Amino acid sequence: MTFRDLVILAAGNLWRMKLRTTLTISGVLIAITAFVAMVSFGAGNQAYVEKQFNKLGLFSTMQVFVEKKGQETDSAPAPKLDAAALERLSAIPGVNLVYPYDAMMVKVRLGDSVVSTKAQALPAAAVRTKLFSGLVAGIAFSGDSSRQAIVSDDLLHRAGITRPDSAVGMSIIVSVRVSTLDSALAHVLTDRGVSLFDRAKKVHVDSLLHAPYRSKVLRSEAGEVVRRFFTGFTDAQATISDTLTVCGVRQEGRMGRLRIEDVIMPVASAKRFKATGFGGSPIEIITAMSNGSIFGSTDEGESRTYSQVTLDFDPKVLYTTIRDSVEKMGFKTFSFAAEFAEIQRVFVYLDLALGVVGLIALLTASLGIANTMIMSINERRREIGVLKSLGADESDIRYLFLVESGAIGVLGTLGGILAGWTITRIVSAIAQRYMKGEGIPPIDLFALPVWLVLIALAFGIGVSLLAGFYPAARAARIDPVAALRND
Amino acid sequence: MEPYLQTVSLCRYYRRGPHEVKALDNVSVAVNKGEYLALLGSSGSGKTTLLNLLAGLDTPTSGTVALEGSPLTGMSRRELSAYRARKVGMIFQSFNLISHYTALQNVEAALLFNGTPPAERRRASAAMLESLGLADRMTHRPGDLSGGEQQRVAVARAVVKRPEILFADEPTGNLDYDNSRSIAGLLQSLNAGGLTVVLVTHNHEMAQEYAHRTVRMQYGRVTGTDLAGATGGAL
Repeated sequence: MTFRDLVILAAGNLWRMKLRTTLTISGVLIAITAFVAMVSFGAGNQAYVEKQFNKLGLFSTMQVFVEKKGQETDSAPAPKLDAAALERLSAIPGVNLVYPYDAMMVKVRLGDSVVSTKAQALPAAAVRTKLFSGLVAGIAFSGDSSRQAIVSDDLLHRAGITRPDSAVGMSIIVSVRVSTLDSALAHVLTDRGVSLFDRAKKVHVDSLLHAPYRSKVLRSEAGEVVRRFFTGFTDAQATISDTLTVCGVRQEGRMGRLRIEDVIMPVASAKRFKATGFGGSPIEIITAMSNGSIFGSTDEGESRTYSQVTLDFDPKVLYTTIRDSVEKMGFKTFSFAAEFAEIQRVFVYLDLALGVVGLIALLTASLGIANTMIMSINERRREIGVLKSLGADESDIRYLFLVESGAIGVLGTLGGILAGWTITRIVSAIAQRYMKGEGIPPIDLFALPVWLVLIALAFGIGVSLLAGFYPAARAARIDPVAALRND
Repeated sequence: MEPYLQTVSLCRYYRRGPHEVKALDNVSVAVNKGEYLALLGSSGSGKTTLLNLLAGLDTPTSGTVALEGSPLTGMSRRELSAYRARKVGMIFQSFNLISHYTALQNVEAALLFNGTPPAERRRASAAMLESLGLADRMTHRPGDLSGGEQQRVAVARAVVKRPEILFADEPTGNLDYDNSRSIAGLLQSLNAGGLTVVLVTHNHEMAQEYAHRTVRMQYGRVTGTDLAGATGGAL
């Protein structure tokens, strides 16, 4: 008996028992619908995350940073992220661009509002990478010396501006309060009219021969010098302002170790603030003191170090190749490609969990198939006996019943995939409408990739065939003599 | 000349609870090619059991069945199926037509397992039904046919594959006199065409009238063999 004959016979038998066949197919259809809809939800979210990562070029971006003190694994000191390190990082094959994280505390006047926030200096080439391509309004600044800035929508919100496109072209005044070494030293010499000389006159020179007095005087005066120095730094601040034009608005968001501040300005504009002194942040002062830059130029000097550097590399180059090269230099790395591998694992678990629920429904449906086939065998005992008397082999009978259960699986699975897809489209449309209403950018929560269709087909048909195995074997074993007996 | 089919010391025992039923006990018979053999006996005499063993539907407890000298008992399950598909035609008392098939489909079913192409199956089946006067009944289901018509469809199904041997198990048992005569005549004409026929019956007039030879059976044993016209009043 050919496969064509088997299919024709099976189709005839299933058609003859329309109601029973329809109900059994419905069981498989519902199970596959549930399976497809649930796994489609996981797949949709996975596709969305992957799309966003691709859109922002996160797969070709890597953060490089210095190992924190205490985390160093060997006795060798951690290498510095300085100009020389940046050059070495630029020389790694596949690396397109290297730029440091260079930020400062600023006050921003935008319209009538003044907001304290952070500003970041970025080269124009960095702003043109995918990472900054998702501007909600305007464009990136044209060059490193242009007097423009990109601001975040969150900053606009805090400044009371609701429409991002209305901010493009607005003037933004960026102010930095800076302290200089000169003001600190001047304050050491004279504080509120009292000079160090005046204080020295109050010291009993003869008593300095006595150790306790001498020790007391030295402790007191050293403390006074330190106090005056810091007071000079913090109190005697000057304000440096610059007026820029908002050229673009980007969406607020911090991703992993990637830090993007509220105001992004070209490197040359940022240099004007840095050339003058130090920002008000005590951390900045302490850092400058610890690396010695407090006594020299800190901007482009060889000794300038950064906490973090971003690499933009060719998407065709494996992130692991870049990572290995960077880590060989002694730096730590963070890449979204590595993070995505972790995220994907989470999605696999999510898909599995959702899939298991669908499979339980499918297993229940398989019991329906087995029941239908066993009922069919009991009703068709004589027919099986006749076919055997006509020359049908056990394998012919077995295949006939397997094709019948397989056909139930195929029809139920195809119907289930179609129904699952329809349901996800309806739910997605409703969800997107709701998101729009809530002001959230609408996203498609579901996806029906080819792999899901193939898995659904494999499970649907596979489980149906498995459900048909026992009834088919039972049918094949029917004794023709007993089946044909007149009783 | 070597018999077409031959049994030697054939036994078929069944177990019914603690008891062993000897359906067939040490039976040795031979069927020659082109012969019309009648197996005559009352109910329970073992003639249907013998027929099933000769057709390869059942396996003996002991003894052998040989087809042209080759033992059927040594054949695999698949070889026995092929033997039934190509060489054996069977007719039953209760017709055993598949109720949801049309007359044509029932006849075509006999050609499903011997490699006949689909178009040839349809053509040969239609021709066979026409030759048996059922041209206008081809699309009818068994439930729409009379007993005589059903048995003629069964005969068509049995012979459409051009078997070498036809086993007929009480083919007239459910038919009236006219239909019985018609079917008996049909079997005789098929035999006249060269087909070997083994008829199981308890009707010794029919056996006497049509068969070349009659094997009488009782309680699972052969009790005698008669040539045509020599069975009168034996049972």
